[in-house]
Amino acid sequence: MITLILSNLSVNIQAIYPEIILSLTLVALVIFDLIFNKQKKFLPLISIIGLFFAFIFVIPEFGTSRSAFPTSENNSLLSIDSFSAFFKGLIIIASVFVVLFSMSSNEIKSCPDRQGEYYSLMFGMIIGMFFLVSANDLILIYLSIELLSLSSYVLAGFVKTSIRNSEASLKYIIYGSTSSGIMLFGISILYGITGSTNLFEINSVLGFSNVPQITFLISILMIFTGIGFKISIVPFHFWTPDIYEGAPLPITAFLSVASKAAGFAVLIRFIEITFAESLSKSGFWQLIPYVNWQNLLVLFSIITMTFGNFAALWQDNLKRLLAYSSIAHAGYLMLGVAVLSDQGLTAVLIYFSIYLFMNLGAFFIVMLIANKINSENIDDYRGLGYSIPFLSTSLAIFLVSLTGLPPTAGFIGKLYIFFALVDAKMIVVAIIALLNTVVALYYYIRVLKVMFLERTDKHVEIEISPLNFVIILALLAPTLIFGVYFTPLVNIAKNSIQLLGF
Amino acid sequence: MTETGIINISLAILFLPLLGFIVTLLLGKKIKSIYLFEVFILTVTLFAAIFVAFIKLSYYVDDRIIAEIQWFKLSETISIKLGFLIDNMTVIMLFVVALISALVHYFSIAYMKDDPRYNRYFAYLGIFTFSMNGIVLTNNILMMYIFWELVGLSSYLLIGFWFEKKSASDAGKKAFIVNRVGDIGMFAGILILFLTYNTFSFESIFHSIAAGKLPFNSDFWLTMTGILLFMGAIGKSAQFPLHVWLPDAMEGPTPVSALIHAATMVAAGVYLTIRIFGLLTADAMMFIAIIGMLSAFIPATIALTQNDIKKVLAYSTVSQLGYMVMALGIGAYKFTFFHLVAHAFFKACLFLGSGSVIYAMHHEQDIRNMGGLRKKLPLTYATFLIATLAISGIPLTSGFHSKDGILASSFAFGSLTGNWIFAIVGFLVALMTAFYMFRLVIITFHGQPRDQHKYEHAKESPFVMVMPLIVLAGLSIFIFYTPNPLNADEGWFISKWLPAPVLSAPNNTRFDFMQETAGAVTHNPSHGTITYSESYTEAMHGAHNPAMILALVLALSGMLLAYIFYQWKKINVDKLTQAIKPLYTFSLNKWYFDELYDKTFVAGTIGFSKLIGWFDAKIVDGIINGAGNLTRLLSVFTGAFDRIVIDGIVNFAAYLSGFIGLIFRRIQTGKVQTYLILVIFSIIILLFLFND
Repeated sequence: MITLILSNLSVNIQAIYPEIILSLTLVALVIFDLIFNKQKKFLPLISIIGLFFAFIFVIPEFGTSRSAFPTSENNSLLSIDSFSAFFKGLIIIASVFVVLFSMSSNEIKSCPDRQGEYYSLMFGMIIGMFFLVSANDLILIYLSIELLSLSSYVLAGFVKTSIRNSEASLKYIIYGSTSSGIMLFGISILYGITGSTNLFEINSVLGFSNVPQITFLISILMIFTGIGFKISIVPFHFWTPDIYEGAPLPITAFLSVASKAAGFAVLIRFIEITFAESLSKSGFWQLIPYVNWQNLLVLFSIITMTFGNFAALWQDNLKRLLAYSSIAHAGYLMLGVAVLSDQGLTAVLIYFSIYLFMNLGAFFIVMLIANKINSENIDDYRGLGYSIPFLSTSLAIFLVSLTGLPPTAGFIGKLYIFFALVDAKMIVVAIIALLNTVVALYYYIRVLKVMFLERTDKHVEIEISPLNFVIILALLAPTLIFGVYFTPLVNIAKNSIQLLGF
Repeated sequence: MTETGIINISLAILFLPLLGFIVTLLLGKKIKSIYLFEVFILTVTLFAAIFVAFIKLSYYVDDRIIAEIQWFKLSETISIKLGFLIDNMTVIMLFVVALISALVHYFSIAYMKDDPRYNRYFAYLGIFTFSMNGIVLTNNILMMYIFWELVGLSSYLLIGFWFEKKSASDAGKKAFIVNRVGDIGMFAGILILFLTYNTFSFESIFHSIAAGKLPFNSDFWLTMTGILLFMGAIGKSAQFPLHVWLPDAMEGPTPVSALIHAATMVAAGVYLTIRIFGLLTADAMMFIAIIGMLSAFIPATIALTQNDIKKVLAYSTVSQLGYMVMALGIGAYKFTFFHLVAHAFFKACLFLGSGSVIYAMHHEQDIRNMGGLRKKLPLTYATFLIATLAISGIPLTSGFHSKDGILASSFAFGSLTGNWIFAIVGFLVALMTAFYMFRLVIITFHGQPRDQHKYEHAKESPFVMVMPLIVLAGLSIFIFYTPNPLNADEGWFISKWLPAPVLSAPNNTRFDFMQETAGAVTHNPSHGTITYSESYTEAMHGAHNPAMILALVLALSGMLLAYIFYQWKKINVDKLTQAIKPLYTFSLNKWYFDELYDKTFVAGTIGFSKLIGWFDAKIVDGIINGAGNLTRLLSVFTGAFDRIVIDGIVNFAAYLSGFIGLIFRRIQTGKVQTYLILVIFSIIILLFLFND
């Protein structure tokens, strides 16, 4: 079992400064909420300050490659490397935006006395994700997923008075606990076969001795189920539309970006470290052929994007449409992983950075509009292009970017995925993905058509506060700039694919 | 201040006006006084430009500062870069653009006061300044082209600013379309350069040419590339035969005419040609010189008879730009740039002065209704007079030096190559310029008022309008360019700030006096090439004094003639025009260029399209109808096939997509139990699939 080696504790503690700061912020939020019961408006501020300091300590992690909390001479619980730092950065950026979203969300504001709870639970999620992206050990992976999930179950049902919220929360918890049960079962089988929960150790066991094929496959598929639940790939996605539609919008946005990022990070680390043939590699990864990862991932990604896109065709609720679209995007991202090469991984990181801005942007504008008209139905968006031109135009830009048309950043994200596919000679898969984009075009453009081409007598007026204006611009700017000038983003992504052990 | 500092400030100079544009445009409808933000931004830009020019000219006077970033990569060897080239010319131009732009902003505060689209006007000025700075700063032909089109756009927006007037919107369209003709050539030139050298950077292109790499490996294509690129300048600098758009562009607000259509944008063509000077062969230069000569001469003859104050200035602008282009063609590289800067100041002053007159006369532009305004508008008159002296080339002004340099060069060129035509036209134009400019001054400001009513209501313009005039008139005095009132060669502008041009065109394609073998002095060893031989320097020395005296005599006699005709009325002008009636009407009607183009190009295009339409309707349709009848029978069958099979497939695909979507949607029952069963079920299926 795991025995922590506690010598050099201070060095190890230093390695998790960001996580410690986040935990302190969580505590600070709870205490502040208890003492200054009336001063709710400082809570977001405290959250942002905490995130800011965590970010400052994440920056030096770029370019480093070290382990923390050793469990034996060679192995440890955590890897602190560029790869995890990149995802931590993404998570922090997404969290800052979500905190800002929450400040103007009517749903969240409807529970004024439980604000402290809200923000501290959010930090619970963030801490879970932070450990998840650098975890090396199945037990830690499981624990972080649980931490992340438990907090998000509560947040999904945060507005208790809303039936929609409560239903979402209940479904989420049932579904989530079943998947994590399956995952835990898988982990225990894997432990039974290999005698270890550490990914590096499992890797060396797989390299030296034969393991029973079928049992091994069962355990891997079960673990995959748990991770697949987090990143909502088909067929483990069933919770996604219901929960995305039911949960408060900031939480939906958070789940669709940050939690998915963490899920992808752990999936990539799990595959790359557990199955790497030898710990040196060319551009294409050499994996131990116990499981045909390429076929498995390609199969999943094609099913996922096809399902997501086709199901989105029929949605009338914009939030639900975005839920399906985020399933489809998980499919595209999965394709980048399925290439099993450094180039594919770079493409995934690029795609994620862009996806963060455009997806948050779309959700934010849907939230601002829903705040006013109390509806997310596409029919109610009729003619909005004329009454609220700024919001509608911004939404249009985000949707065009989600479709992946130039000159928006979404195009660049897809372009790099396709480059990676073509380089790996996976032409057929690339064509299927391309056709999927065509399907996606239909439902995204449908929203634009309703907003700009259809007229209505109803006149909606939405006052945009200066803060919200700045938030929208902050999301628009990268969506447009990365569509034209993307070299720095590509360079950052290229430098961030370094995992510990490689 | 380091070089990085200079680059950073230049970045700020470039982007500040863009910020002004965005803010002013977005908030223009909400906040009435947002134009003040734009004015403020331009003031900041001006100070930044002065600062950069000061630093560069005092501490880095011999350096060429280049900063590049990679935009994107096409392949391992080809990457597209964006970048700045900051040499002395760049900072001087930045200063000229920022100064005139700022002054025009101030001037417009009063001039445009009652306009309903006040804020939008200032926003447009902002984007123009941004684009112009881009042209000035770029180190590559691609960015040049991008900003080139952007100034074209802002010029279009501002010419047609009062788009309710048909003449204004027509003039905007005309400017835009005529410019396209030139830009096609420029675009072709850029493509040739990129295909040959895989880069857009001036520096790298010159290096490759100097190393012997030519487009399609022939001298001819190098000449052609130069001429094609110069076509862009023909359009933008309103050179013959594309000069017709500039006089019409006077439909825009007068401050805009001063900024864009006199001082800066139209000079961009000359600036481009200066930037590509290194790759021009003798043949290309000869072509440029001839175009410039025609553009200097023809509009000067037209300006003699025009009666609209702005039209006179417009034709004079074309003529002076032609002067610069001609000067560049005959190798007077430094004096071209000198004249460009000097002209920018005095012509902006003249245009703003005319704006002041028009403002005082309640939008009267016909000089036949003016007269005697000297007493009513003393400051406007004084500054207008100084600028007129400058453009006529009277000593103690900047124009005297710059023109003198160009004329001396044409003299030297004549003595070295035997081509005296440029010198003759140059002097003739100098005579005409002095004449028509003083005609304008005398009719407008001297004598008796002709429209008593308007005269009585005229009064001097407010301070924000007069102050720019004073600044610009001040900058038309020689002391800013050289300490010696009679010879500018030793002054800092020519001898210190402007380095000799670097030629990279192969030796055998250059003018004889520009060849390296003819005792050349190498100025820039890293580049390895230099331009002017000793014989040229000698010829210039010899030409200087005669040219100066002759130019002065001609300018003074032009002045004198104007006084005899219009001030003292010794000769009856009406009788004279009767005597040379055909010539007079020919000039008054601008050599019938517009009519000619209407009859040929416009009518030709329309006629051609009609011909094609007729061909389409009669011949093609006839064939098609015949074939149609034949195939109709067949089409019944194919139609059925189409309807049933093809449409069926298409509809089926759409239907299938929808159907798949529906099924997928059905799976989402909303019941957690179903979901979980499906999950377990899929794990089992996967197990079977991947267990081999």
